[in-house]
Amino acid sequence: MALYKYFIKRLVLTLPTLLGVSIIVFLLIHMIPGDPVDIMLGDRVTDAAKLALEERLGLNQPLHIQYWNWFSNAVRGDFGISIRSNQPVIEEIMRRLPATVELTVVALLIAVVFGILFGVSAARYRNTAIDYSTIGFSLLGVSIPIFWLGMMLIFFFSVILGWLPVSGRLAMGISIPQMTGLYLVDALIAGKISAFWGALKHLILPAFSLATVSLALIVRVTRSSMLDILSEDYIRTARAKGVRERKVIYTHALKNAMIPVVTVIGLQLAKLMGGAILTETVFSWPGIGRLLVTAIGVRDYPVVQGVVFFVAFAFIAINIVVDLFYAYLDPRIRYD
Amino acid sequence: MNSEFKQVIRVYKRNKLAVVAFFIAIILMVLAVIGPYLAPYDPVEINLQLRFEPGFWEGNTDHLLGTDNLGRDIFSRILYGTGISLKVGYAVIAITAVVGLFIGLVSGYFGGAVDIVIMRFIDILLAFPPLLLALVIAATLGTGIEKAMLAIAIIYIPSLARIVRGSVLTVKEMPYVEASRAMGAGKFWIIVGHVLPNVLTPVIVYLTLLLGDAILYTAALGFLGVGIDPTTPEWGAMLSSGKDFLILGKWWITVFPGVMIFLAVLSFNLFGDGLREAVDSKLRL
Repeated sequence: MALYKYFIKRLVLTLPTLLGVSIIVFLLIHMIPGDPVDIMLGDRVTDAAKLALEERLGLNQPLHIQYWNWFSNAVRGDFGISIRSNQPVIEEIMRRLPATVELTVVALLIAVVFGILFGVSAARYRNTAIDYSTIGFSLLGVSIPIFWLGMMLIFFFSVILGWLPVSGRLAMGISIPQMTGLYLVDALIAGKISAFWGALKHLILPAFSLATVSLALIVRVTRSSMLDILSEDYIRTARAKGVRERKVIYTHALKNAMIPVVTVIGLQLAKLMGGAILTETVFSWPGIGRLLVTAIGVRDYPVVQGVVFFVAFAFIAINIVVDLFYAYLDPRIRYD
Repeated sequence: MNSEFKQVIRVYKRNKLAVVAFFIAIILMVLAVIGPYLAPYDPVEINLQLRFEPGFWEGNTDHLLGTDNLGRDIFSRILYGTGISLKVGYAVIAITAVVGLFIGLVSGYFGGAVDIVIMRFIDILLAFPPLLLALVIAATLGTGIEKAMLAIAIIYIPSLARIVRGSVLTVKEMPYVEASRAMGAGKFWIIVGHVLPNVLTPVIVYLTLLLGDAILYTAALGFLGVGIDPTTPEWGAMLSSGKDFLILGKWWITVFPGVMIFLAVLSFNLFGDGLREAVDSKLRL
């Protein structure tokens, strides 16, 4: 099967899932016990205000019509208006999206680069202190609550040592011209090196705490995969014919050990998207995770619906891309 | 005690870390039950005269782990919190086991349209990042420990149902199931008497691995203040209330509950890993 045919097949298979996701997200507002309008507005408002909100949310129409209205708007990116800010929900999301993307991508990079590096060296120096301490750290890393780790990092590096900022994306008074919304990129484009350092300093702690669990998992998988490969005959052959150890490890072994590692990396995206909700709350990082938690707190249901649908949609899209990547790497997958 | 069980224990005992984890897990389970009797103070009692009292490291014997921003005794709150976290963990396991087994058995055994509809629905649930799903369900259901249990169980039910369904598909083609059917056994008896016992091993292993994870998600919901009342002595909720005082140097409000979450998750994970290894070794023999 050609890659594009596989792509179309995956896309078609996704449509019912997407429809189901949209129904669940839509029904959320109707699963709230009690009258959602009462819950959203509280007791101290006039009946007229309640009727107006009911009208705006379309709650006075039959359910299937409500769904159709909501869905047809949602696929065009219109998630309605936030109850609290009176801004379109999609604008609220788009304003915060770059912060989340920057945090998640940097965390993924940290997890992949350090994960493979530590995993390979643990396998290479098997049963030495390097190996044991790597295993020990990865064991702890898988079980540590990242929101607590984040707080401990803040306490140590920001409060005690004063090296890094406590929260936010940039210090007060510093501005970066907005291009992509990714501060690191924007600062480089504008040639503002000090702003770049400022943004990087703000990013270090949140990105490391978000990366921890994925980093630990990638270390584990890389190590065990490398150990399997290093006991293969062709590795012995390579060593026997005098290939330098560095080349044996990084060229012969690592390439072949990467398949399970790539699989784990693909699975980390869901973890990171969930983890971003927690990390953003710890570090007051102005991303969509924080938008969601705040919206839940003030019962701003249009925002909740919008963010959840948006994230689920993004998650499905990312999964398709990851699958396509596998299919590209391993053509056998396409024939399943 | 049969020999298979002995074999599993023997392999498990070889893993020293898993043995230590097992004992820590037992201590936590006991603490969850007797904690409230050991607690020197009421965990929700507010005492504004005693805010931010440091603990034993500054010679405080009244409040060993200090007091929080509302003067509540942290040691007592942690003891109560053990019970809450484990209760949620057990309940999540129970709900997941019952619902996941039921869905998986029905879907796998009956097949056809039932199977297609159920599996499609499960695909939909799996399309959400897990924490997002739990968060949204908890937000919809409202505040309450029971609701949080349900919200967290929904994360695991789809995966367990899939595991069960997969096993059922293999088991139902086995000669002993066919023999039973030939002898005129009803569907219910075949499922409960023959299929269920033979899919239990992967289910038990999955459920053991889930406890640590469920405790972590409980703490996460508590920390985000969704589904769990922020005043309850839940470990995650305690972290959330201490978060803003960290920059004032009041580290004890967040350090101790965090250590407890970490310890519980770590020991239950190591216990689950050890058990899975031991069971796998039995299966290989």
